[in-house]
Amino acid sequence: MNRSIALLAPLCLGLGLTLPVFAQEDEFQTVITPAFSPVTWERLINAEDEPENWMMYSGTLDSQRYSRLDQIDKSNVAELEMKWSYQIPVIDRAETVPTVVDGIMFITEAPSNLTAVDARTGRVYWRYDHELPDDLRICCGRNNRGVAILGETLFMSTLDAHLVAIDARTGNVLWDTEVADYEAGYSKTAAPLIVKDKVVTGIAGGEFGIRGFIDAYDPASGELEWRTYAIPGSGEPGNDSWSGDSWKTGGAATWLTGSYDPDLNLIYWGTGNPGPDWNGDVRLGDNLYSDSALALDGDTGEIAWHFQFTPHDVHDYDSIQVPILADIEYQGSTRKVMMWANRNAFFYTIDRVTGEFLEGDAYASQTWAQGLDPNGRPIRVPGMAPTYEGILVSPPIVGATNWYSPGYSQQTGLFYVTSFDGEQEFFKRDEDYEEGERFTGGGGRYNQPMDAFHSSIRAINPATAQIEWEFPIMPRSSAGITTTAGGIVFTGSADGYFFALDAATGEELWHISLGARVHAAPMTYAVDGKQFVTIASGNVVYTFGLKDN
Amino acid sequence: MSSISTQIKHLLAIAICGTLFAASGGNAEDAGNLYNTRFDINAGLKYFERQCSRCHGFDAKGNDETGAPDLTGRLSRASSDVGIFNIIRTGVPGTAMLPVAADLPDSQVWQLVAYIGSLSTDPANIDLPGSVVAGARLFANKGDCNSCHMIDGQGGRLGPDLSRIGERRNPEELLTDILDPHQEVAPRWWTMRVTDSEGITREGLRMNEDSFSLRIMDAESNLWSYPKRQLASIERVEESTMPSYTQILSDSEVDDLVAYLFSLRKEN
Repeated sequence: MNRSIALLAPLCLGLGLTLPVFAQEDEFQTVITPAFSPVTWERLINAEDEPENWMMYSGTLDSQRYSRLDQIDKSNVAELEMKWSYQIPVIDRAETVPTVVDGIMFITEAPSNLTAVDARTGRVYWRYDHELPDDLRICCGRNNRGVAILGETLFMSTLDAHLVAIDARTGNVLWDTEVADYEAGYSKTAAPLIVKDKVVTGIAGGEFGIRGFIDAYDPASGELEWRTYAIPGSGEPGNDSWSGDSWKTGGAATWLTGSYDPDLNLIYWGTGNPGPDWNGDVRLGDNLYSDSALALDGDTGEIAWHFQFTPHDVHDYDSIQVPILADIEYQGSTRKVMMWANRNAFFYTIDRVTGEFLEGDAYASQTWAQGLDPNGRPIRVPGMAPTYEGILVSPPIVGATNWYSPGYSQQTGLFYVTSFDGEQEFFKRDEDYEEGERFTGGGGRYNQPMDAFHSSIRAINPATAQIEWEFPIMPRSSAGITTTAGGIVFTGSADGYFFALDAATGEELWHISLGARVHAAPMTYAVDGKQFVTIASGNVVYTFGLKDN
Repeated sequence: MSSISTQIKHLLAIAICGTLFAASGGNAEDAGNLYNTRFDINAGLKYFERQCSRCHGFDAKGNDETGAPDLTGRLSRASSDVGIFNIIRTGVPGTAMLPVAADLPDSQVWQLVAYIGSLSTDPANIDLPGSVVAGARLFANKGDCNSCHMIDGQGGRLGPDLSRIGERRNPEELLTDILDPHQEVAPRWWTMRVTDSEGITREGLRMNEDSFSLRIMDAESNLWSYPKRQLASIERVEESTMPSYTQILSDSEVDDLVAYLFSLRKEN
């Protein structure tokens, strides 16, 4: 019954109607029927048809982060008020994007924990604490970004490179599979992606000389179904793009969530930097498939095509961004495209059927490339590789953007990205590989205060790769973006704001100071016909909604 | 003036060697660092660049984004080599500071301790040419420094509080601050000039600026807070308001002022 109520919501909201009110007097008695019903693959394919739920990391399989909910719109967003907050008990950095299914919200927490709360009140149903060894090998903090769900089971990555299956009703562990050996430098932080009857997941460890891969697991047993390495093995096509044995420790981690096109049966996934990051002398060649987008067969994991954004990268320009899939009008015809604002400061529109490069241009400050050639390959500026003494290059190591989710609006046809115009001195060092130790070959140093650089939310037209508008923020932000049918772009900033922009113009509509860094993407959902917007800031998950009438 | 930096380097070398011979055997609880030769410091530097620089920065000056502290001055969580050793070995619970690998030999941890120790300047090992007493007089009189800077609650508000400046800046850096104040200016001391929608312009030190708002202190110490969207114009001057003392003080007077500022520490 709850399911049928839930299905009413998008219909009514789409028509601009007000939903029936369910026992509004007492919020703890509003659930007439039990919350939560199993999440089938059919529901996941059609996730945009039930916008009251947010059933995966990027909202829908195409990762647009566009919600059809329109109760909160440009005319009333300024009236948003806080409805509840949830304090994450382990003090660390929250990068979580919660998942909501039929009134229940699942929140991942640092280091590798998971909590289920009532999505209307933030009060806890259950909590799962993942036991971790105390000698983790992680590059960049104790983070977890979200879960995947199929049936009644949640799937979560853990910092010790495990994939765990958790009962969505109780928090009990159903299985716990070691994906890779954490002592060799492997770890996991990203939400998995459900593809039909498999759990698809990547791996982190690009600063430890790992060999990246994308895996698919049986959701019932946790058995590995297939593994596709992001670096071709000996004798495979592309292996000769690495000098000597450098491919064995070449990185190309796959540490974020990908996307999926059910019609093409293709999985799209980004790969990270080649290792060692800043010393390319020991790994001559293009270093396939580092810094690439991979299109994989949805059943076998076989690579259908690849597009390498930064061949032979020496600046740590990971292609670890969420691929956004959409069908757009391009030069007089409708094209199935993948949109990608890369850490290397270039935006790309790519035909997602074939991998053909369509459009691309710099969307942020950069000094390392003269531009892109007709195939989308960068034309390098000579002499910009890191040196022992240091050389100034833009974008800096953190990139023009990074892992934080971009968004796309079906209303405006624009792509939105959090961008950074900065520069940094890059250094090269000689290092030998030792299993489980960092293998980066250098580093970087800012020569100016962070406030001297420019950050902004930029809206890009994917048909032209040109910037339509930008909204300045400060300092460098690592917040993701969500768009809605209410005409809004929701995002946050490193100085602790959560705010709403007009998706068409970039005009500020509303902001609130949450007081701590927003290090996650917002998401939106509805319960009992009321739309909510949720964002993690600091160590707290905040949920906002319109005033009750 | 250049003689100061040469002297400091010379003295640092003596200090490093001195500590080596003074160190005694023992365990992490009660001993000094046995691994602090130039070789060890260099080995510690290599380990630091590889394992620690991601958070603490290649120059060990910290990173506001990662929350990793500056390791080149006084450390907030450790006041001795043993304290630094224990933090590296066990990490800091509840923070991103993880322990080093359990199988990393103690000798390598000590090398890292030696490297971190080499980043800060121990005043006991520094013999500066200037006079602290004369520097204190210059600060209050000819230099007129106290019209802008506070020390122990006395002085102006238009520059940084210098009560413990000796813990944060070494003599070379202090010299640069005095002679070329624009070279390194923290954003807190930039100047903002704003005009509101009624055409009123105010100028002040940039106490805080964020995506949507701005707070300044004007020359009369008045505090102003503005929503950016209500301002007609915002101008930012990324320079110091402090004058260079090249033409104001003699070389020996600058030496005195450096000696005085470097003496300003908690224990004083």
